[in-house]
Amino acid sequence: MTTNTSVPAASDHNARPTRSPRTELHRPRRATPSKRIRTALARNARELHPLRSRLGWIPASPARNRQAAQPPQIALRLGRSRGQPNPAAPSPNLRRTRRLRTALRLGRLHAASRRIPAALVAIAACAVGLRIALLGHWDSYGALQLPLVFETGAAAVITVAPASPIGDPERVAGRWLPYLRLVAALVLTATATVALAAAGTGAHLAGGWLDVLRNVAGSTGIGLLCAAAIGAGLAWAGPAAYLLAGVYGLYTQWHHPALTTPWLWPARPPHDLGATICASLIFTLGMAAVTVRGARDPAGQTD
Amino acid sequence: MSAVDAPALALTSGGPASVKRGRLRATARLLRLELRHNAMLWMIPVVAGLFWFTTYRKVMSMPPLWYPRAAALQPRLLLVFVCPVAGAAAWMGSREARRRTVDVVSITARSRCVRQLITWAATAGWAVLAYLGCIGVVYGVTARQAIAGGPLWWPVAVGAASLAALSALGFAAGALAPSRFTGPLTSIAAFFALALSTQLINGSQSYWVVSPVVAAPWDLGPVPGVAIFYHYLPDLPIAQVMFLAGLTAAVLGALALPRNSGRRSLRAAAAVVTAAGLLAAVTAVRLAGTGKLDAHGMIAIPALHDAANDRPIRFTPVCSHTAIPVCLNPAYASDLPGVASALEPVLTEIAGLPGAPARILQASVVYHQGAGNGVSVGQAGPTISGTPPAYHLLLPDQLNGPAFTTSQLADVTRATLGPALIIQLTGYGPAASPAQRAVTEALLTDANLRPQSLALPPGPPGSSGPSGPSVPSGRGQVRTRAPSTPPWLLPGSPVVAAARRFAALPVSARRTWLLHHLPALRAGQIPLAQLP
Repeated sequence: MTTNTSVPAASDHNARPTRSPRTELHRPRRATPSKRIRTALARNARELHPLRSRLGWIPASPARNRQAAQPPQIALRLGRSRGQPNPAAPSPNLRRTRRLRTALRLGRLHAASRRIPAALVAIAACAVGLRIALLGHWDSYGALQLPLVFETGAAAVITVAPASPIGDPERVAGRWLPYLRLVAALVLTATATVALAAAGTGAHLAGGWLDVLRNVAGSTGIGLLCAAAIGAGLAWAGPAAYLLAGVYGLYTQWHHPALTTPWLWPARPPHDLGATICASLIFTLGMAAVTVRGARDPAGQTD
Repeated sequence: MSAVDAPALALTSGGPASVKRGRLRATARLLRLELRHNAMLWMIPVVAGLFWFTTYRKVMSMPPLWYPRAAALQPRLLLVFVCPVAGAAAWMGSREARRRTVDVVSITARSRCVRQLITWAATAGWAVLAYLGCIGVVYGVTARQAIAGGPLWWPVAVGAASLAALSALGFAAGALAPSRFTGPLTSIAAFFALALSTQLINGSQSYWVVSPVVAAPWDLGPVPGVAIFYHYLPDLPIAQVMFLAGLTAAVLGALALPRNSGRRSLRAAAAVVTAAGLLAAVTAVRLAGTGKLDAHGMIAIPALHDAANDRPIRFTPVCSHTAIPVCLNPAYASDLPGVASALEPVLTEIAGLPGAPARILQASVVYHQGAGNGVSVGQAGPTISGTPPAYHLLLPDQLNGPAFTTSQLADVTRATLGPALIIQLTGYGPAASPAQRAVTEALLTDANLRPQSLALPPGPPGSSGPSGPSVPSGRGQVRTRAPSTPPWLLPGSPVVAAARRFAALPVSARRTWLLHHLPALRAGQIPLAQLP
């Protein structure tokens, strides 16, 4: 006996449930959007879908997935090889322009999410502070410790910048994220070094720009390692703690026994090779950690 | 049930007493929650590591005396805590804005200022607890090592008040400018302000000594000889605690001033607290500016000074069993064996001779503020006084020099005090006769003391001897004197020949001659040819 029912058989998983006329009749009608809104939505969908697919934010369209999964002979059977230009596709110049605009937009969004502009302002404030402080008269202790304090301030600012307000969703959604993290950290470190070295131009900056470069890089490396390990929010504790260790290392140059380990690079002369290697190693490790893993922050913990 | 609805439940269950109890319980629960989720808790391992690396080892290398260790501990420990506390407090202060829960928590039963106060209290509480732990370690070890004196609590109070003020400042920065950069910038700025503000101190009379990193006269530092013969002066710590408490109250009160922070009465009370705090802080700064270095090496503030602290501490000296007893303050009892053995040859040589002291007694140091940052240091009282005569000595580690090991201390004492005792016995001086020079040289050679000692001009009465190798001159700077050989000590001179002849005599013969001729020798009445 056959029955007319809308419920599919339990064994037939692929069967779509048939909609009964009664259900169809009583289903409330969705409000129809106006033509203008529909047009805008369609345009947005057309423009954003390939972009999102390229960025890996959403899966590619089913058709594209199917095409990518098919062997070459199937592509031939469809009438066009994969390398053959599609007459409907945009020109290479347009594609390049779009890629550039996409990259710029992505970089801008990443910079905004990491508060890079505010970080640059904070680094500039550190440089201005150093310049103002260098105008004063300092004794030997102060003259040596002064640049280190401002270098650590700039490094601490770089350290907290990688904190992501999005958290894990961002990690799984974009393949460009490691490159963006790397570029952001490098740009901030370079900016801090240049700004602090420029602040010392024409004044007595103990250690010179080599010292600035080494100390900023080393402290930033410590901070980035802390950001990858405990989260960027409190990662400033690493450079701040190292500041005290560095100041203590400088202090022991007067009050023996002096600490001469290259791992306390602020206490070593600017041309000391061991100290430079140690600072570079820490900087490289920090960069690698924050590039690969990013800051260990849950979403919504940072502004 | 959350922490903030407890009072509501209490209202339904009883009268005003239970309401109050319920409020207290809710506050305690809120405080417990804040303590559990406080960022300062994560900073404690950082603080512990820094404490061991920069403070504990350095402080423990100091002599086991309470004052130098406490005075050195206060600024060092404060610098260890400044970055973590200020940064963590800023992080906690910006929490609500960072998590975008300002509107959510604004409808809770607790007003904004009460919530902030509890969060600050939790942060400061963890910081003070960690600070007291570090203090406990140092004081515990010192209590086992120190022989005399007791722990000084005023430096501890200054440190605790500093942490409260630092956390209040950091918290206010985080609450007023919530950003991910507030924490690091606040911590570095606090370090800069504390560590480098001392550059502005000029002399002992400076407003900047109110800074909590100043635990001793800034030009002098924590000298080991201070607060042993005289009482510790709490004048400066009182002004510092007053300043820090006022600053804390002013900052916390200012946080409660905005319109959305609570009821009008609460804000009025906050305004009063802010004004009182500012008044206390300004008064403390003015008081600190009137302080000056006193004769005993501490800062005395006239308005806060207790005259009873100017009386010397009575003590029973510990003495050696040498031919002439060496008697030291009990605080220096650990130095006695080394000093006595170092001086034993000289003391055996001069014991019983006319004009020789009956005992060697440790003296205290007097300090005088010089121009700028200079401080002059000398011995209190005359070198020889009393009946029977007692020779007063200053141990090298009473001065602001480098720290000595036991053997170094013995060597320096022997090299300084030994010649001073012989010179005092023979009456050697710039106008000494050739016989005096020869006998002095012979006695020094016999006691295995450096003959170059004679090359040095006699020191001032207060100094540790004419051959003192170094004289502290403020802030750890040491002024050295380069020895030069006088003409009468050149090889082949009559004085050197007579000295060699006198030193070659048997000890008994030399001693017998000195017993009979020493007064005449001191008076310059014996020509060189009469020396045996």
